[in-house]
Amino acid sequence: MLETLAQAVINGLLIGGIYALVSIGVTLIFGVVKIVNFAQGEFVMIGMYLSFFLATQFAVDPVVSLVITMPVLFSVGVLIQHFLIRRVLGQNDMPQIFLTFALSLLLVNLALMLFSANYRTVHTWYSDEALHLGGLYIPLAKLFAFALAMVLSAALWAFLHTTDLGKAMRAAAQNREVAQLMGINPNRVFCVALGVALALAGAAGSLLMPFYPAYPLVGQVFVLMAFVAVVLGTLGNILGALVASLMMGVAESLGIQFIGADSGLIVVFLMLLLTLALRPSGLAGGRAR
Amino acid sequence: MGEALVIRDLSKRFGGLRAVQEVSFSVRENETLALIGPNGAGKTTSFNLITGFFRPDTGSITAFGREIVGLRPHDICAHGLARTFQVAKPFGAMTVLANVMTGAFLRDKRIEVAREKAREAIEFVGLSAKEGRPARDLTTIDQRRLEMARALATEPRLLLLDEVMAGLNPAEIDQAVALVGKLSQRGLTIVIVEHVMRAIMAVARHIVVLDHGQKIAEGSPREIVENPQVIRAYLGSGYAHASASEAR
Amino acid sequence: MKGKSFAALALCLGAVLLLALPLLLKSTFVLDIFIRILLFAFIGTAWNLMGGYAKQLSLGHVAYFGLGAYTSTILQVDFDISPWIGMVAGGIVAALASLPIGWLCFRLRGPYFTIATIATAQVLMLVFLKFRDFAWGAEGTTIPNLGNAPLMMQFEAKSAYYYVALGLLALGLAITFLIERSFIGYYLVAIGENEDAAEAIGVDAPRMKRDIYMISAFLTALAGTFYIQYIYFIDPATAFNFSISIEAALVSIVGGIGTLWGPVIGTVLLETTSALLQSWLGSRIGGIQLTVYSLILMAVILWRPTGIMGFLSELHAKHLRAEPAPKPEAA
Repeated sequence: MLETLAQAVINGLLIGGIYALVSIGVTLIFGVVKIVNFAQGEFVMIGMYLSFFLATQFAVDPVVSLVITMPVLFSVGVLIQHFLIRRVLGQNDMPQIFLTFALSLLLVNLALMLFSANYRTVHTWYSDEALHLGGLYIPLAKLFAFALAMVLSAALWAFLHTTDLGKAMRAAAQNREVAQLMGINPNRVFCVALGVALALAGAAGSLLMPFYPAYPLVGQVFVLMAFVAVVLGTLGNILGALVASLMMGVAESLGIQFIGADSGLIVVFLMLLLTLALRPSGLAGGRAR
Repeated sequence: MGEALVIRDLSKRFGGLRAVQEVSFSVRENETLALIGPNGAGKTTSFNLITGFFRPDTGSITAFGREIVGLRPHDICAHGLARTFQVAKPFGAMTVLANVMTGAFLRDKRIEVAREKAREAIEFVGLSAKEGRPARDLTTIDQRRLEMARALATEPRLLLLDEVMAGLNPAEIDQAVALVGKLSQRGLTIVIVEHVMRAIMAVARHIVVLDHGQKIAEGSPREIVENPQVIRAYLGSGYAHASASEAR
Repeated sequence: MKGKSFAALALCLGAVLLLALPLLLKSTFVLDIFIRILLFAFIGTAWNLMGGYAKQLSLGHVAYFGLGAYTSTILQVDFDISPWIGMVAGGIVAALASLPIGWLCFRLRGPYFTIATIATAQVLMLVFLKFRDFAWGAEGTTIPNLGNAPLMMQFEAKSAYYYVALGLLALGLAITFLIERSFIGYYLVAIGENEDAAEAIGVDAPRMKRDIYMISAFLTALAGTFYIQYIYFIDPATAFNFSISIEAALVSIVGGIGTLWGPVIGTVLLETTSALLQSWLGSRIGGIQLTVYSLILMAVILWRPTGIMGFLSELHAKHLRAEPAPKPEAA
């Protein structure tokens, strides 16, 4: 019993690392650009297909393909900020919500047209390998993914706290007017925020590929997790998103272990609704938006 | 004449910041009272407490004989307290007329009646020529006028005006002062937050001075001007700002 | 006055044309498209009351569509109660369900309101997937075919379904018309524009939002019952299909959010596009319909956030500027 519990917690933590990459991206964009990116999950999907393509066509290991997916998605993020999101900033809720929502819809359905709804998997030498610690079982692919996710999160934290650009982003997140007065070019900062967030999503995609199938709707699982985690961990707070993501992973895994195989999503939704019910005003900043 | 508004020991803190600390004052019916003080003194917070947008931590607010702490903003408006916002909040997509009609519906739900009342309020603030324009197309000054008309359309007994004269030129300030005078003549009780000293001197019979959330002085305009504590509070940016606006 | 009588004339002509349409159409394929247009225009109209006027941008309206569908189907299959009664019962169930859902979601503003509505609809779908004993679980059920039984909302002639859908749309538009022209319309737009300012002039925003959400949920549920009766089959994936939530919002936004005719115009455009795509390309390529929808949505958001109606009224305003005339009042 105790062993089952420990195993479930480990499984949850490992996948929680991936959730964290997605959540941190969502919270970074929300903090800096003040927009909720409904399409964040689709960039995980793009990262997965990119890694799949690199693995099947050029025999690049999915984890190694990070070095390609991250810069590619960084560029995509910059372009999306510059050509799409910039045009709706400062408008009311409708364009802001439905622009990224439309983007999500577009990417899912383009993927459906291009790649069909079939599951695509990549098999690597470590896909079936695992570490055995006592009675516990730690799949190697998930361990790699978790470890790299933590390294990337730490790198982002260092970037935000030590570099000028990172500090500018944090300043912009805290107070846009003051940041502008300090001579920070908002669009440039926003472009970097989108780029970094999408690069993290792309990394999540690559890291998932050795043990998770790619399909057009795959991003929705991750983006829902991210929304819950971001709400749980206070909007715009990166460390909060990380911790909450790990918690989400564990909660989902416990749900699967003790309630039933397809109950993971129910647990997540219930957590979201519970969070909403218990944290009334903290979320959207209450009255004073 | 009775008391329109009685505020006793009002306090509100935001985290570590004590925005308003044990403030007490009262406004008599048909009196115009000015609430002044340097930036961050707690004036707008006081407005938000009185009109139900924030709930005070302690203290009581009685308006026309009724305790209003705990009531929601729309109830407080229905009780006869109307306010304007420091940064005007027009309903941008609606026309000026529709904006003001929305206020008029509080007392009468009939379209024709509301339209008539709204037109009256719009004329009162001098916006009649623009009643068909979408509110988002108005200048900042006209948006403040609109906000006043919208508040008036709710037929208040007490009007709370939050910096309606900021950024106006001297001629416009004179107009605004005249407008406030006219409102007072109609029997309205007015609480006004203002930085423009000249305007305060012209309209207010009674002044309450806040600094760092506390009331530091209260009295007639003459008493306030000569109060050493007030001068100290305003020394630096505050006083400079006040005299600068006067000099313009 | 001249404009008003012209509008009345156009409306009468349109009504006559719509009533006569099934007599002129021979193809059931085309009639089916018209039924879809009427149905989605109605769902869009229901969404628009809350999402358009009060700007509470829900993406979870399928929750009420599904509740309506399941209520009437359970009443019909298990208790032999006519779907006409079940339809109203479904509306009431949906309206009641909107109370706790609204209580939860209205705590949030902006995008997080939207996410919360998605989540509640998904939870409902999962509930119906799980409860095998009470609602047939994931397999769903077919509706017993009784032949021509108008009292059980079953018709041999497809045109009868057309008239039911037309009636629903007329109901939705009539309600919208009345609301738009009363103080409620002003209050809703005011809440959508600035909730604090609305509260400050005496609008009980939480109550208004709750009430309009109930009306919107009630109407959406009617559409759910109708749709299931039309296709003779129900399962959670059909009754709680996320794409219904999407289309409800989409047709309103494309047509013109917060306008009486916006959802109708939006549905005509989107459904016609989708039908044309289908006849050109067949249904071989999955995803093409939503790809095109999302491109249209993006185009509208980037270039015309007020939708087609907004574009038309801008043209109209330009025309008016040339000759002085009374200006329209509400937004």
